[in-house]
Amino acid sequence: MKKLICIILAICAAVSLTACGGKTQEETAAGFKPALDTNTSCSITVVGSYDNFEALEAEFDRFNEFYPNVQLSYVKLDDYSNTLVTALEGNDKPNIFFTTASMIGNEQYDPVFALAEDLADPALGLDLDCIRPGLINHDAEGRVLLVPVFSRSYGMLVNKDLFEKEGLDIPTTWTELLAVCEAFRGKGCSSPMMGYSLKSSSCFMYTVAYPLFAAALAENPEALVLANELDPAAGETMRPALEAVEQLIGSGCIDLDACDMIEDNYTQVILRFFEGDVPMMICAGDTVSGTRKRESQSEAFTNAPFDYSFAPIPLTEEGGYFIDSPSVEFSVNKDCDDLDMTNEFMRFLITREELNAMASVKRLVTPTTDLSFDAVYAPFGQVPSERTISPEVLGITDALTVQIRLAAFQVGKGDITVDEAVTMYGSLEETQ
Amino acid sequence: MKKARIAIVNIAIMVGILIFVILYSSYEGKAALRRQVESFVSTTVAMEHVTENYMAGEQHICDVWARYINSKGMSIEEAASFICISHVTQTASAHIVYLDTLSGLSTRARQDAADDYAVSYGRIGLLNDVSWINDIGKSVNISRAYTNPVNGEQSIAFCNYVTLQDSETGELRDAVLLRVLPIAEMAQKWIFPQEGFENTELSMIDANGDYIIKGHSFKNSSFFEFYRSYNTIDPASAQEFFETITSSTGSFTMLNSRGEKCILAYTPVDATGGWTLLSFMPMKDLRVNTENWLLIGVISAALLLLFVFDLSVMLNFNKKLQAAAREAASANRAKTDFLSTMSHDIRTPMNAIMGLTTIAEKNLGDTESVADNLRKIGLASNHLLSLINDILDISKVESGKLNLSPLTFSIVDTVENLVNISQPMIKEKNISFSFRINRMEKEYLYADQLRLNQIYINILSNAIKYTEPGGSVSVDMREEESETPGCVKLTYVVADTGMGMSPEFMAKMYEPFSRQTDSRVNTIQGTGLGLAITKQMVDLMNGVIDCQSELGKGTTFTIVLDIPVADKQLDDMRLEPIDVLIVDDDTVLLETAVDALESLGVTAEKAEDSVTALEMIRQRQESGRQYGVVILDWKMPGMDGVEAVRRIRSEIDENVPILLISAYDWSDIEDAAKDAGVNGFISKPLFRSKLYDKINELLGTEAKSAEPEDDYSDLAGISILVAEDNDINWEIISAMLGMFGIVTERAENGQICVDKMKAAERGQYALVFMDIQMPVMNGLDAARNIRALEDPWASSIPIIAMTADAFSENVTECLNAGMNGHIAKPVDIRLVIKEIRRIKEEKKA
Repeated sequence: MKKLICIILAICAAVSLTACGGKTQEETAAGFKPALDTNTSCSITVVGSYDNFEALEAEFDRFNEFYPNVQLSYVKLDDYSNTLVTALEGNDKPNIFFTTASMIGNEQYDPVFALAEDLADPALGLDLDCIRPGLINHDAEGRVLLVPVFSRSYGMLVNKDLFEKEGLDIPTTWTELLAVCEAFRGKGCSSPMMGYSLKSSSCFMYTVAYPLFAAALAENPEALVLANELDPAAGETMRPALEAVEQLIGSGCIDLDACDMIEDNYTQVILRFFEGDVPMMICAGDTVSGTRKRESQSEAFTNAPFDYSFAPIPLTEEGGYFIDSPSVEFSVNKDCDDLDMTNEFMRFLITREELNAMASVKRLVTPTTDLSFDAVYAPFGQVPSERTISPEVLGITDALTVQIRLAAFQVGKGDITVDEAVTMYGSLEETQ
Repeated sequence: MKKARIAIVNIAIMVGILIFVILYSSYEGKAALRRQVESFVSTTVAMEHVTENYMAGEQHICDVWARYINSKGMSIEEAASFICISHVTQTASAHIVYLDTLSGLSTRARQDAADDYAVSYGRIGLLNDVSWINDIGKSVNISRAYTNPVNGEQSIAFCNYVTLQDSETGELRDAVLLRVLPIAEMAQKWIFPQEGFENTELSMIDANGDYIIKGHSFKNSSFFEFYRSYNTIDPASAQEFFETITSSTGSFTMLNSRGEKCILAYTPVDATGGWTLLSFMPMKDLRVNTENWLLIGVISAALLLLFVFDLSVMLNFNKKLQAAAREAASANRAKTDFLSTMSHDIRTPMNAIMGLTTIAEKNLGDTESVADNLRKIGLASNHLLSLINDILDISKVESGKLNLSPLTFSIVDTVENLVNISQPMIKEKNISFSFRINRMEKEYLYADQLRLNQIYINILSNAIKYTEPGGSVSVDMREEESETPGCVKLTYVVADTGMGMSPEFMAKMYEPFSRQTDSRVNTIQGTGLGLAITKQMVDLMNGVIDCQSELGKGTTFTIVLDIPVADKQLDDMRLEPIDVLIVDDDTVLLETAVDALESLGVTAEKAEDSVTALEMIRQRQESGRQYGVVILDWKMPGMDGVEAVRRIRSEIDENVPILLISAYDWSDIEDAAKDAGVNGFISKPLFRSKLYDKINELLGTEAKSAEPEDDYSDLAGISILVAEDNDINWEIISAMLGMFGIVTERAENGQICVDKMKAAERGQYALVFMDIQMPVMNGLDAARNIRALEDPWASSIPIIAMTADAFSENVTECLNAGMNGHIAKPVDIRLVIKEIRRIKEEKKA
């Protein structure tokens, strides 16, 4: 009988103890300790150009675990590049806004950066060290007016299961790449590599050519200066990159007709890759971000899921390049309401844990030094530093990228030859 | 097993109650939730009506503007100017945008340029497709939420087509008039109206799920995407599900971005083309407890508490029952043992009585043998009687009916009685016995003498019984001052060198029927009741009994009682101022005796041995100051008392009165002592009154108080009426009294006794012996009737109860009924004679 009583009391004690085992805030976000009154009630608005920003909304929820009365919202501004300035000066000023490295130096955005807070101010306590140094832009005064929350790169989605099934190794050099493509073609695969090719924007030709061009400019600072000035003299620097595009198409690695069937540079690229018969799908990191959500939307992938990763295209015998470029960056409006709480949110967000968490949700490349947390992007973590190129650090301008994009697209499409493209550098324009 | 079953049944009942409470609570909770959800949906529908009215109102303003502009053939500047005049709301603005260029004028200037009213929708993407705008008055043409290109605010717009005249060319140009309202302001007004749904958020979506107006908790740019992101739905059923949402009214639950369960109500906004109003709030805010855990928790705790309490009470009760059962079993065993013992103990004296009676009958001619047999029969009868008394006493004790009947009595008599009773056994076992008293000043006390005697006798008889021949038993009795006013503290210490008791037995020695398990004990007669009765009686008299014992070495019992002093005390006893020498080897006795003697007014000297005494007597003889009385102990080391007397008589003084002290009766040495020249005997302990009587008797100053031992002539011819219904008893008492020359007359019951007393002549009877339990009229009633007789002689005749009702309360009853005394059956003829003489003496007085 005593045993029975003991068991009953023990159960009661256990039930009581489990009631005490509530999850603490400290467990939800290790390291972050609120610096303001957690009962503070206010609103913070982040404006940007994304239609959706679920990853950021997830961070809002996590931040609300500390500050439950802070209402955070993300608002997409129509015609962002034009309405941002207006919104910043309007009645309903956003607290945080999207910026990009390309805005720096553009007079249109001078009012924007005039309102941007220096995020390197030690008083704010942001952990900028967790971000890869090549992604942070310091202005002439050493200020950091924008911090990256995602980065982008260029490469190819690799169907690992398909390689394994065909008994082939994922190529790590240019020769291996051509050989693998040949092998796949021999096995009946008409286009071992694919990509978006309908328009120049985000076309696969640019994705192939840009890393090679950037690498060539990195090795030739004089050419870089000329290229930025859109001097035709810099056209020759594009040649290896354009030849690579031409060779991939010419050698049958890429069937342009098949690529032209892909209707857009994002969803359709992903869904085509999920069909499971494409060994390598050339795309930017931004496209990879859509893969997770579309796994369930693809009937083919749902029926026959496979393992895949995003890897640099092995464009040289030494391997591929990691173009490490910031994607979305955040700036803080120093004239906004509730600036203290806005900075508190930034202090919460700019940490390895939160940035990785956000990158994980969005499946974008994290800007932090830890690239290995997402297996899809793990191959980029293995690229040696000498093959990692930060265009912003290098000083590559938007105008330059437009020229290489147009040149690669037009060469790839067969509209112009490589020689023509080289000579036309600086004067290439959209044909469509 | 039974306990486990009870526990299981209890737990099953508890679980049953809990399940019922949970189910009932859940049922009630679900019903309440259902009502809440219905209310939520109907409020959403009401909200849709409100929204529709609001939108219709806003659209109407836009319609009025558009009609007016169209009717007047205005240019864009004129139209803008007209609207500026018509504006009432400060936050609202209007945009007029040409459809061909998607640019136009705003009624409010740009934020960053005070005189810039130009507006462009070229990159906004709102007016690229205007198929959603119907003709004026046909519908509510509301835009999605978009960024106002003039001030960057998120806004909505109510739209209409207008036709404007180009101010330069004069041509008519199609344009869209937008009445633009900031969402922030709308959101402040667009609040769920019903109390209890304060945390509800509203959104409006188009047919594709894209938000027109987006509440804070709604994520993503499309509600459908939002739903897919945090809830599981297969692609096949998703389309149907979303179509249901956008085409009907209803509700469902879903998870929000925090994983919280939320309720979402949906209803179509009729005024728009395929828009749906969504109301969204966390389920926890519905304030409905589907499971009332507090109630369940409280009930669980209460049931558990009840269970534990009941269990502990039950266990405690069981423990007590077990203990009681053990005690009952033990008592049963004890009683069985007792009955077995009783059977043996009763049969033993009965066997002696019957056997000796048979022997006596067969040897009627041999007087000596008959006398011996009768003596032994008497002894066996006495033992049997004490056995019966013990059994009756313990039965009284156990039933709690033992009461005290205090009477005035003499402690001297009590002690003498004690010594007398113990003498035969002491002699038989050849035990060294001493009885010492110390400072016994108060002779008459007020207590239940019968019970006090029983206490003292039980302890002393046990000591004698369990002391082997050659051992010693000593009794010390002393009187001390009591803390209780009017009382004396009487301490009675009996120490023996007997077999002692084990600690185990001592722990339960006061329990009835307990006897020490010892082969030596088994040979000794006993019921195991004596100590139990003694302890109960001591407790009843508020006394203390203590026992020190060691196995094989002996036992010492100490009884301390506070006994009230009786009002009656001896008159001031004073002897002539003579010199008295007292001789004893017991120094304590010497001290006590010297104190007692000096309190009687004599000069007392003491000597511890005969030689010293002889020397002291010689010196006195030579000095001519002889002792008035010499008191010598019989047993002394060296020269004993008798020898000392012989030498006094032969060597010193032939005339000095000498008393010989004896602890026992002196019959054995009487002749030798008298031959040696002893004048008288005195037995220990030496009470003051006894010393007074004996010295006076010796000096011839007072008549002898001692009763003649064998002279019963004073009793001859006394006539006694004996009320006795039993023939044998009548025959016995009649014969016994006849032996003393007493004449008896029988009354067969109380009534006859009363009648005889009524009819008797004055002085016909000296007294009445009255049985109590008799037919027709009992002895008590008979006594009362006699006391009520008119004849003073008859009503005052001494009546002595002679009954087998032997308890003290029976004695009290008898005295209360008017009787003068009580003799218990079986009768001791010596007591009867003593009682008759007492009556006779009182009558003389």
